[in-house]
Amino acid sequence: MRKGSKNIIVTITTAAFILLQFSVFSQKKFNDTSIIQEVVVTATRTEKSIGDIPVPIQVISKKFIQQTGSQKLIDILQQQTGLVLADNPLGQALQGYPNPFGSGIQLQGLDPAYTLILLDGEPLTGRNAGILNLGRIAVGNIQQIEIIKGPATSLYGSDALAGVINIITEKPKDNIASIQVHRASNNTWGFTSNNTIKKNKTVLQLFANRYSSSGYDLDKTVYGKTVDPYRNYSFAVKLFYDINARTQLQSSARIFTQKQFNNYLVYTGSQPGTVDGSTDESDWSLNNQLSHRFSKKVKLVSRLYVTGYQDNATVFLQKNDSLFDKSFLHQFLLKPEWQFELGEKQNEQFITGLGYNYEAIDASRYAAEKRFNSFYIFSQKEWHPVTHLNITLGARLDKNSLYKAQFNPKLAIAFKPLQKLTLIASVGSGFKAPDFRQQFLYFTNSLVGYTLLGASELNNGLLQLKQQGQIDASVDITPYLTDHTLLPERSVGTNIGFRLKPGNNTMINSGVFRNDIINLIDRYNLPFTKTNNQSIYSYANVNRVFTQGFDFSISQKLLDVFTLNAGYQYLEAKDKDVIERIRENKIVKRDPVTFTSTYVSSSEYGGLFNRSKHSANLQLMYSNKQHWLNGSIRAVYRGRFGYSDINGDNILDDDREYVKGYLLLNSSVSIAFKNGLQLQTGSDNILNHLDKDKLPNLSGRTFFVNCNLNLQKFFAKNKNNIQL
Amino acid sequence: MKKMIYNSAVIAISAILILSSCTKNSTDVVTIIQKTDSLKVNFSSATAFTFFSFKNDALVANSDSATVNWDFGLRFTTFILNSHTYGPANAGAILQNSIYSSVTVAPDAGYAYDTTSAQKAIKDGSWYDYNVVTHAFAPKAGQTFFFRTADNFYVKMELLAVDYEPFVGPAPVRLIYRFRYTYQSNGTKNF
Repeated sequence: MRKGSKNIIVTITTAAFILLQFSVFSQKKFNDTSIIQEVVVTATRTEKSIGDIPVPIQVISKKFIQQTGSQKLIDILQQQTGLVLADNPLGQALQGYPNPFGSGIQLQGLDPAYTLILLDGEPLTGRNAGILNLGRIAVGNIQQIEIIKGPATSLYGSDALAGVINIITEKPKDNIASIQVHRASNNTWGFTSNNTIKKNKTVLQLFANRYSSSGYDLDKTVYGKTVDPYRNYSFAVKLFYDINARTQLQSSARIFTQKQFNNYLVYTGSQPGTVDGSTDESDWSLNNQLSHRFSKKVKLVSRLYVTGYQDNATVFLQKNDSLFDKSFLHQFLLKPEWQFELGEKQNEQFITGLGYNYEAIDASRYAAEKRFNSFYIFSQKEWHPVTHLNITLGARLDKNSLYKAQFNPKLAIAFKPLQKLTLIASVGSGFKAPDFRQQFLYFTNSLVGYTLLGASELNNGLLQLKQQGQIDASVDITPYLTDHTLLPERSVGTNIGFRLKPGNNTMINSGVFRNDIINLIDRYNLPFTKTNNQSIYSYANVNRVFTQGFDFSISQKLLDVFTLNAGYQYLEAKDKDVIERIRENKIVKRDPVTFTSTYVSSSEYGGLFNRSKHSANLQLMYSNKQHWLNGSIRAVYRGRFGYSDINGDNILDDDREYVKGYLLLNSSVSIAFKNGLQLQTGSDNILNHLDKDKLPNLSGRTFFVNCNLNLQKFFAKNKNNIQL
Repeated sequence: MKKMIYNSAVIAISAILILSSCTKNSTDVVTIIQKTDSLKVNFSSATAFTFFSFKNDALVANSDSATVNWDFGLRFTTFILNSHTYGPANAGAILQNSIYSSVTVAPDAGYAYDTTSAQKAIKDGSWYDYNVVTHAFAPKAGQTFFFRTADNFYVKMELLAVDYEPFVGPAPVRLIYRFRYTYQSNGTKNF
């Protein structure tokens, strides 16, 4: 808290300083804020009004992002109904060590690894144990974020089981020149520059961002910070060029690079020592798109996407500068794709496409670099058999060199019995390719001595361990030298819901969902040990789970200046095999205090760990009639969720195994001046909710100040002529 | 990690309570020894085994490893028995899915030996779940160990907890095993 008050002083001083510099006090008009029908692209791969989409979709607008003042994508996402911030199921690191896993977004009760994350329609690579570091995406040039709930594999392929989050960057219509300075607690600085130059048929957009933070330390008794200091840079260049009325070229390049300064305590033998070093994470991508309309009925979009990801972590012992640990993950993806759009009418379209993926991946814990290819084709057709009824049928076939072909269809129906009401229903399948770790890991823990082998490395690894004498000569490994190919994890998802717009000021969304997943991949140990008596682990398809629930959200405009958003999600997520074993009286729990053992009953089973049955959000947004004063109060509630087993049955069935529910309260206020300056300040996690052991990714109360400057307005000769 | 230490303390206190109550019980039934005990082993698979005798409810010196004085040995998470590969006696073991307090008869047959160092009667990893969140080695609930001891008596045993001894730094030093067992000193398989 002392640190907090110091930060308040800093932020107020900064704000006062900025106010002094710009003494011209006037007004600026924001965009119109009535609830409008947005246009989205993610649901159907073509531009479509949100009202016609037959699947659950949520859109986060640029205005909302601006009003939160947040620089962190994950904080923006977790304020949406049904999007829950969740730690990696692999848990957290040992005390003092940097957390290698981070947190992501849980959608419809599925782990972050089961949601596809797209940037301008193309997948981001570089997931660490299933989690993509969302800090790689700067928020300053985001136009809107589209979230599709339910399987979208029929259009996007692997990973889109729970849904898709598509982050769409700006395509400005006019010249823009703006800068932003962000100052926040934990010595956080953000600098953003956003420029668009439009000339005739060409639009060039340049975006740059630098973001740095000193991190934070939730436990002073442990050497090292909870989150180590870091700084990162993002640059993006986008070029739009209308070659002619029928042909458009869109080219973009992006680069992100981050350095995190690690410093923590280690033990070498029994001697404590400190290490320092850095984790360097970077990615780059080139995205080219050429679209040509051959006729009124035929359009072809060709895309070429290339991306690379590097993560290198190196630490040295401080006492003698000797290398202590080094690890890396390198990934490369090349993805050409062609998409045809046939049909004159927007709502009778036929889309079909094909593409190819070349992927290469190498990591310190893998035996060698892995390369593989996959091909895919997809089609989607829309029909309007009668008025107010839209039927969309789509399917996609993926053929990967690592597993058998995957066919995923999806049927979606939208029915508009009234102008104000749309009923939607969809059912589709999805799949997730086994991740690289599960396939290629080749790793022996130096501290304990166990060995982890990915399914594809198992035979090779066993033979090598045997040859090296690490498996006893008397063990017959031949029965285990079989085909261990992992099957992709598969799901079937159903979503039924409605969108209601009773008046111009109200919008209601609601739906029920159910996902059934089979072939979930889990770790198992082989029935014999190494000569050091340690286990050998590998991965296999074992589990069957389901998630189901419903969500409800309402957006209501009040008194022309307020918008009230409220959302709630109810969720159940359970392992079907556990349910069966409980029914058969096969699961016993042992109380950790009394040591009494009893059978677990069905009613005690709380489902999968890390899922909240109840989650909710409430937002009150304010924008005055002239739109120069804006503010918001936003609450996110996450109900209690299972953390870890304590009673020896490895399932969630005891009140002591839960983390209590918590509330995050955030606020912001901003004022815009006629000269193009906008000042914003606010606080996140106002209630200062902290749990250093179970929620290490929550940093406590923070404050921020943003200073936005529209350079065109600022340097305009006659400020009074500026359109409000 | 702090939580784990706290839990250890709670468990330790409750273990003492149970220990005292069990000791009282054992005086009622003459032929049966009922104990709740604990032993510490190094968090390492490179150090020597710790040997235990059910009859004496005591650790056995490493120098006695070639004698019939011990029943099982423990190193990190690995159990060995006094027979075949590891000792001169005829000890065997069965790991059964059952609730310790409700099983009253030990199996007649099926006691496994450590036929080789890689194929042990009690398979490493078979009796615990490693928790990736808390890094705990939790003995699976609802599992009863049956031993035929080095001196041909029968024992049922339950592992109650495996905790880290409080430690500083990221690497644990020792594991504390807590277990209860019933030793039938009249030679039958009934408990």
